[in-house]
Amino acid sequence: MDTVLEERKASIFAQELGCGGDGSSIGCERASVSGAVSQRACVYCGARVVLNPITDAFHIVHGPIGCASYTWDIRGSLSSGSDLYRNSFSTDLREKDVIFGGAEKLQRAIEEIVQEKKAKLIFVYATCIVGVIGDDIEAVCRQAEEKFGIRVIPVKAPGFSGTKSQGYKLACDAMMRLIRPHYDEKLKKCGVNILGDFNLAGEMWIIKNYFHRIGIPIVSTFTGDASYETLIKAPRAAINIVQCAGSSAYLAKRMEEEFNIPFFKVSFFGVEDTTNSILRVADAVGDAAAVKKAACFTTEERRKAESFLEIYRPHLTGRRAAIYVGGGFKAISLIRQFAEMGIKTVVVGTQTGKQEDYTVIRSLVDADTVILDDANPAELERFMRETKADILVGGVKERPLAYKLGIAFCDHNHERKHALGGYEGVVNFTREINLSINSPVWKYLKEA
Amino acid sequence: MGRNFKNLNVNPCKMCVPMGAVTAFYGIKKCMSILHGSQGCSTYIRRHMATHYNEPVDIASSSLTEQGTVFGGEKNLLQGLENLIRLYEPEVIGIATTCLAETIGEDVPAIRHKFYEMHPEYRHVRIINASTAGYAGTQYEGFFRALHAIVSQVEMQMGHNEKINLVTGYLSPADTRYLKDLLAEMELEYILLPDFSENLDGGHEKDYNRLPQAGTSIEDISLMAGARYTIELSHFVQAESSPAQYLWEKYGVPYVRLDLPTGLRGMDALLAKLVELGGRLTEKISKARSRYLDAMVDSHKYNALGRALVFGEPDFVQGTVKLCAENGLVPVAALTGAVCPSFKTALEPELAAAAETQFVSGFVIEADADFARAEELVKELSVNLLIGNSDGRRVAEKFGLPLIRASFPIHDQVGGQRVRTIGYEGSLRFLDRMVNALLLQRAETFREDMYRKYYKREDDHAAARPKQETDRQVLAESGLDAAAMLAKKTAEHPCFTCGGGKYARIHLPVAPQCNIQCRYCLRSFDCPNESRPGVTAEILTPEQALAKYKRVKTDMPNLKVVGIAGPGDSLANFAGTSETLRLIREFDPEVTFCLSTNGLMLPMYAEEIIKLGVTHVTITINAVEPSIGAKIYEYIDYLGTRYTGEAAAGILLGNQLTGLKYLAVHGVVCKVNVVMLKGVNDTHIETVVKKVKELGAHITNIMQMIPVKGSAFEAMPLVSHKDVMAMREKCGQYIGQMLHCRQCRADAVGTLNNDVSIRYRSCAKSAETASEKNLQRVAVATKSGMLVDQHFGQAEEFYIYESDGEQAHFIERRSVAKYCRGEEVCDEKASRMEKLLHAIDDCGSVLALRIGDSPQQKLALMGIRVITTYDRIETAVNKAVRGA
Repeated sequence: MDTVLEERKASIFAQELGCGGDGSSIGCERASVSGAVSQRACVYCGARVVLNPITDAFHIVHGPIGCASYTWDIRGSLSSGSDLYRNSFSTDLREKDVIFGGAEKLQRAIEEIVQEKKAKLIFVYATCIVGVIGDDIEAVCRQAEEKFGIRVIPVKAPGFSGTKSQGYKLACDAMMRLIRPHYDEKLKKCGVNILGDFNLAGEMWIIKNYFHRIGIPIVSTFTGDASYETLIKAPRAAINIVQCAGSSAYLAKRMEEEFNIPFFKVSFFGVEDTTNSILRVADAVGDAAAVKKAACFTTEERRKAESFLEIYRPHLTGRRAAIYVGGGFKAISLIRQFAEMGIKTVVVGTQTGKQEDYTVIRSLVDADTVILDDANPAELERFMRETKADILVGGVKERPLAYKLGIAFCDHNHERKHALGGYEGVVNFTREINLSINSPVWKYLKEA
Repeated sequence: MGRNFKNLNVNPCKMCVPMGAVTAFYGIKKCMSILHGSQGCSTYIRRHMATHYNEPVDIASSSLTEQGTVFGGEKNLLQGLENLIRLYEPEVIGIATTCLAETIGEDVPAIRHKFYEMHPEYRHVRIINASTAGYAGTQYEGFFRALHAIVSQVEMQMGHNEKINLVTGYLSPADTRYLKDLLAEMELEYILLPDFSENLDGGHEKDYNRLPQAGTSIEDISLMAGARYTIELSHFVQAESSPAQYLWEKYGVPYVRLDLPTGLRGMDALLAKLVELGGRLTEKISKARSRYLDAMVDSHKYNALGRALVFGEPDFVQGTVKLCAENGLVPVAALTGAVCPSFKTALEPELAAAAETQFVSGFVIEADADFARAEELVKELSVNLLIGNSDGRRVAEKFGLPLIRASFPIHDQVGGQRVRTIGYEGSLRFLDRMVNALLLQRAETFREDMYRKYYKREDDHAAARPKQETDRQVLAESGLDAAAMLAKKTAEHPCFTCGGGKYARIHLPVAPQCNIQCRYCLRSFDCPNESRPGVTAEILTPEQALAKYKRVKTDMPNLKVVGIAGPGDSLANFAGTSETLRLIREFDPEVTFCLSTNGLMLPMYAEEIIKLGVTHVTITINAVEPSIGAKIYEYIDYLGTRYTGEAAAGILLGNQLTGLKYLAVHGVVCKVNVVMLKGVNDTHIETVVKKVKELGAHITNIMQMIPVKGSAFEAMPLVSHKDVMAMREKCGQYIGQMLHCRQCRADAVGTLNNDVSIRYRSCAKSAETASEKNLQRVAVATKSGMLVDQHFGQAEEFYIYESDGEQAHFIERRSVAKYCRGEEVCDEKASRMEKLLHAIDDCGSVLALRIGDSPQQKLALMGIRVITTYDRIETAVNKAVRGA
């Protein structure tokens, strides 16, 4: 049984395989190898992940039922307002619609919604089939906007048209389309937009609390706990900060170009990143009082987090971690967080990492660490075994594999119910790692 | 159709066809499946199955791209099959088509043929294809379509055998194992199709094998044509997808189609058939039956309380409805997401009889239903129990109903693979879960229900008062009458009582933001010698505020009042304000809480501030007419929008008065401050005072404006002290007047006559001002934004910092591409290198991961130091400056 297909070798860096050369480049940002059992999702998934947290929008999936069914309320984005986004709307196309076209059905569906509910904002996601049968959803949406005076924004996301990253970009374009009419160059700019946090388990709230505390106003959040009303204020912000660059740097760039809002990247994963990010935002937009408060606050929080880590470190130091996550940003921050705990990363891979992400990863890990792009279960199995990983950080699809191999697991995807951002996240993440890696159950497996 | 919207499925009660197909393939020995379509389908389906079965679920995809979609996916599928064989070495491969492959018209049998021609070495791998467009049904149809493909594509061995074919639908692995045990117990030879009892519910083995090792073997399947009989456990399977019907038509194997053996009748029917086929009815089986009967009786009275909504695949719903009905639990609604023409007629007698017994007036049976419809029915039919898969959890959450999880998917609990619903024991376990949910529901609510229904007290009003941990209650518990205590607090409050010498107060400056702009105000920090509202030397965090309070309280036993008076507005910073009060209340249960506010946010927070124990509030109300207010207020920021003019004044004044009334009604002592502004509101003040009196204000405080340099009213002529006194006297006929106001700072400490705030100002000031020394500007080449991780020549942006070697301060991010400073126009043709250099030419150093020789020399000529490093940005910047 092969574990590494010839076509996959370019996307793997592993010393013993002799593949990947010096690790300075790795095959990535390419289509998945057919039959390789990729862990990747699709364009629609990428678009939906980014837009889904917009709480008061109707997210209509225009296509057959599967895509709507599998994405219904499975993510941990929380809302302080509407719960509408936790519903799943689909035109549920049938054989007849596929033959005769589904545009009319979509049009009637939108009408039904507008008549029955108070819709302000509708996103229409076109999935694979719509891309093939060629429904003009652009026209349907435009007509609906004109007829009802609300926003109906098409997101043309057939799964086959690229990778999940392409979906992120489509989502960013959709948001630009939403907020562009609210830009007025005469607006007085003030406050901060937070981009690229999805309020999983309340992470956006945690970050907002920090800024509230040091006196920095937040204008809009993309897209964690966002609503129509909050999003359209975004063009008034003085600055954008970008947490998940993979999904949202593009949006920041567009807003810089079109609205003249400068941006910079931040990270709220780990003690050091969180501290530096808070200080950076205070420096960039706060007054002297804010800078001083940020310094006091972060000093105190860092001290608390450090003394917390001191307690846990003896339980964790010397262990070995495997990481398989969606994007490069998350992988990089995880490697560093593990380093803070004294845990060595022995396998690291992403679904949609970019070349420069892998360059950074390469420089963060040891020479014997295996690096993979778009890995499959066979590769994960082999390398986790060979490197004797103690824990895997990944998404739910990878969880049963880790367990079968007797490896601990930590959820680090959109379904998680524990906040991993900010200082609170450091505590939660450390606890999560400890509770799995040091569970008594592994001992019994080894005895057996 | 069971939906509220005609053209829209709202919260689907179904999944797609390929989901069913790959599940069925999981019941075949050493079989892998590949979805012919785009990548996402397999990932979504794997995620759904992995969380239900808690097993690794590996399903390949042909990963069709745009090109494959336009020119056909043959190449992808051929490669996919080959790769899948290399990685898993399966003996069988199931190809299930997706929406995409079906719509673009892929000829899978032809591709399969080509594959065998290209790869004679793989001829031993049996490739089965099922046509499973996602839009052509649900997972239910997909499941049987795959089974049909299997029996019709596997070469059959002719000749009779003694086996019985047992074809099942979407059962749990545990139920499948039960069927195997049952047939073994009855000493019948059988072929079970499919058998995922191990593959989707495996144990922990020393060596994990990623190819599913168990399941129905191809050899067994090839014997199905020669079997003596087929039992198909499905009521609703469509004829064209029915393996039993196929085996009958093609090979003459007689068959019977039975309902799921859920409940007594279903299981009796299966047993009867098995006995008829020569099965041995053992004592163990009879005992299980008699235990089921006994249990039915034990719980029948509780079951009669149930009004269930059952949803899911047609066979599951039917079996469950029958189980409920025979136990007297009324299934008032039966829904399936599948399009199933015979669903209603098949179920109607069951629901009708159950409803009739308990005089339940209505019941509903609908196919092609969604959960929006289910929600409607829950209300309409007074449902108290939901039975189905985890997708019903939102309805359960919304209505607070128990959901008995069974069938697929169960992704919010563990053990989906072990749920039992068939056989006598399985049915009983299923029934127990239902009845226990009903019992628990009743146990948890009946005390409250009965109490509400029957108990009447003498003084309902007194008893109905909600429990609140208010300050007043704390006081009441300490033995003092609340009203008396409030009077005492007011008497000790220096601002509400004449004479400012006896009791001290502290203003904690925790509220820096303001949400309105008064034309007489300019808020600033740090004017230690100035004393007026809005001024403070520092801003405190709630923790710092608590520390300060503790210090002052130790020094000043006569400290009776904690006030929050800005320097902005206490309610525009509600998190800080409330946290401060909470912390102080924990430390000191007695001190009086006082807030001062412009009132804009009062309607929103009034209830909360009362809960926090605030007993005294000062609201500044300068007008009650929007036209006058508009002259005083430049703008307000309210709920995210900036208002100006009369609109602003209208909102503000409305909120002030609403808030005042609410507070007064709830017993809070309210003081209203009025700033007297010559030519603006001086003739209007009497109206203001009358109005606030009417709304319950305790006292008003008419004040002189303090002219502030830089504010809009800087040059406004002042009203004289005499004018103010005259106005106070005039208004004194309506309401008590405060005559001793000192217009305090936002960080005032002490008695009104002796402010000692300067003594208590933070000592941390030295660090802040000491840093004018040696600031150096540093440019950082970064990709991640957190690390120095970018090659200089590849940098698209620089993060610019200033540092004194100890503390790095972020200045800005500069994009190289668009970088262009000052008035000079960027040369379009300027080389990339020039732009790079230009972008950082004001910096003393540049940090990068690596740098080429040529740029390094150029930078040296510009006097810019280059440091190559790999480190966290802030750390590297400080190091660089220290090393300079």
